[in-house]
Amino acid sequence: MIDNIIHSALIMTTPVLLAALGGLINRVGGLVNIGLGAMMLSGALVGFLVAADDGSWPLALAAAGLAGAVTALAMSLIVTRLGADEIIVGLGLNIVVAGLVRFFLKSHFHTSGTLGLPAVTMLPRYDLPGIADLPVLGAIFSGHDILTWMSWVLVPATVWFLARTRAGLRLRAAGAAPGPARALGLAPLAIRDISSVYAGFLSGLAGAYLAIGVVGIFNEGIVAGRGFIALAAFYFGRNRPVATAMGALLFGFFDAIQIRLQGRGVPAELVQMLPYAMVIVFLTLVAVAARRRAQKVDVHD
Amino acid sequence: MRLGARGLVRRFGTLTANDRVDFAARRGTVHAIVGGNGAGKSTLMRILQGVDQPDEGSVIVDGKPVAFRHPADAFARGIGMVHQEFMLVPGLSLLENLILAREPADALGRLDIPAALAAARALEHQAGVTLDWHMPVDDAPVHVRQIVEILRLLYRGADVLILDEPTAVLAPSQVRDLIGLLQRLKADGRTILFISHKLDEVMSVADDITVMRQGRVVASLAAAATSKAAIAEMMIGEIVDAPAARPASAGTAVLSVVDLVATDPRGIVKLRGVDLTVHAGEIVAVAGVAGNGQDELVAAVTGLGRRLRGSVTLAGVDIADLPPSARRARGLAYLSPDRKAEGLCIAASIADNTIAGHHRRPAFSAGGILRRGAIARHVETLLDRYSVQRAASDLPISSLSGGNQQRVAIARELDGAPKVLVSCQPTRGVDIRGIAFIHRCLLDYRDRGGAVLLVSEELDEIIALADRIVVLFEGRRTGEIRRGDGDIEAIGRMMLGERAA
Repeated sequence: MIDNIIHSALIMTTPVLLAALGGLINRVGGLVNIGLGAMMLSGALVGFLVAADDGSWPLALAAAGLAGAVTALAMSLIVTRLGADEIIVGLGLNIVVAGLVRFFLKSHFHTSGTLGLPAVTMLPRYDLPGIADLPVLGAIFSGHDILTWMSWVLVPATVWFLARTRAGLRLRAAGAAPGPARALGLAPLAIRDISSVYAGFLSGLAGAYLAIGVVGIFNEGIVAGRGFIALAAFYFGRNRPVATAMGALLFGFFDAIQIRLQGRGVPAELVQMLPYAMVIVFLTLVAVAARRRAQKVDVHD
Repeated sequence: MRLGARGLVRRFGTLTANDRVDFAARRGTVHAIVGGNGAGKSTLMRILQGVDQPDEGSVIVDGKPVAFRHPADAFARGIGMVHQEFMLVPGLSLLENLILAREPADALGRLDIPAALAAARALEHQAGVTLDWHMPVDDAPVHVRQIVEILRLLYRGADVLILDEPTAVLAPSQVRDLIGLLQRLKADGRTILFISHKLDEVMSVADDITVMRQGRVVASLAAAATSKAAIAEMMIGEIVDAPAARPASAGTAVLSVVDLVATDPRGIVKLRGVDLTVHAGEIVAVAGVAGNGQDELVAAVTGLGRRLRGSVTLAGVDIADLPPSARRARGLAYLSPDRKAEGLCIAASIADNTIAGHHRRPAFSAGGILRRGAIARHVETLLDRYSVQRAASDLPISSLSGGNQQRVAIARELDGAPKVLVSCQPTRGVDIRGIAFIHRCLLDYRDRGGAVLLVSEELDEIIALADRIVVLFEGRRTGEIRRGDGDIEAIGRMMLGERAA
């Protein structure tokens, strides 16, 4: 039981964590990416189509990442080169991509909402010998797929990248002070675009994960607001990868609980709200605690 | 000659910002460029730095004319600039700022921190300073940031340093440190272009001085061959009377704050329990290095910031919990240090700015409808009284020079006989003639029985105007001086935390 919840909590965390780590890099580079959900959705559809008919899952992931990256680049260029507002463009992108996907399902598959295809290749999950049978640890470390492991490896890797590499330093500078960065000879807009492409790539993978890592069918609502949850995660984490991962894990945990609670007499629509509601509750608690701390500052040192 | 200009002309529409400017900075010297606001110093600097291009004439580097299209061109010739607003990146450490865009790294792009630190230590040694390189730039005091900017230029290979009003943000002892640093750099063979309007500093640091007025070079001469008074006369073309310091006749307490504790916008406590009283007919100045609680004091008095504790009383009424509009209605006037963002609505007309905040007066509006005719008459009278140079009052206020914008702001704030004026950096970005005018306005207001709380980073201004000077350091009072009691050195020591004996 507990093993089951841990295992599915990690699975539900993966897409949010991937998108959040991408969005974090994007935000450090100076762009608040509201369009993560749109990038996830394009990744989900493209990944799903490539994986159908006994397709190759690595190819499906690559295609999904690419789809997300292209979507992100379009958004980023509109913001950085045309000077559009990032919030408006991001919101618009979510609506436009959702509309395009719906149109595509109708025109190509004559279906609305849900698309099932034969012989969809799912992401393989691997058991780690020796660990798989251990209680709790087995559920945490074993029986996962490559994206889940990758997303957790990315957490320390992102910390290291930002603090210790030339590219990380330049990314932080471009985001924090584009004017001085340009004066020193950097190209902050290009750096920002690259960070968007990275965010789009990870979000595309996250979308594919939902389609071929979790359910095996595609639905136009498959992302279910996880782009915004990812946004909440790196905001809550204040651009720190570990705290961001904790935010994603919080959501994943309640998402797993929610799945368990379904069919137990409570209306499914209400139960499905649980992870989102808990994110709001938790963010509120954190904000209240932070305010308390600020007021307790001893003014006499 | 390392850097200079020959016949440089730059026009903006009908205005000639630089009119056949010549000067020559010799290698290994400090060359000062002095002049009031609008003298054309900034235009010249922008051209020397490659940010702007001349219409005629050329920049001379190492004796030969060159054409800079971008700052990178200037930098490639070893010319770097320390800006008035520092160009450091917040959120990065001092070391990261030093190496940014020229990072020592291995083939994989991993930063070589030991190499960076070694380079930083070498620069420190050259400059004769010691810094905590891992400190976040946001925590570094302003003089440290300035040093990092200078060292960054050296790190990047500049041997001509252009410093734009570098001492505006420093306490007196820090100014001496900076001058020492510049002299060491000069001894190493570097060339320094020092832009300033503070003649004491110019006289103490410069080898040569170029004086500009109204876009022209008035004189270029060796510092040893001239005097402060002679330079001042060349700068302004005529002698402007500094307002005489008249003794005050202080009356009843108008503004008092007790045990005031306040935070900055980030929630950090910056003011740690300050008591202060301003009487009618008195100017009380707050001196301090920027960031020692002055902003928070002003924000708590005006109602624009967060107050954690303490009271603010205006003419016997506790106003601490009132919104800014209610404080103004009770006789508080506020001259903001940030004209563009807070003091004026820069996109609105001169006339609208002149009555902003007074627009609810029955004379100006009835039933929510503005009485344009009455407003226009009032605006013209008021702006004429304050000699605001303008083509028409319905033009955007952004069409005015900084000094004239400030005249509009001060005219508005003193309109309607306020009980107390909170005046912050009243002469920032104002030329020498405008400064004298604004000082006279403040003194006249005081003589009419007004109470002034003056916050300024210009010690000369504080000493000229204030009847009492309160010094703040790290959010607490470190001393109080009455007019004529203390000298600038004593105030400087208190600004750095030494308590009054």
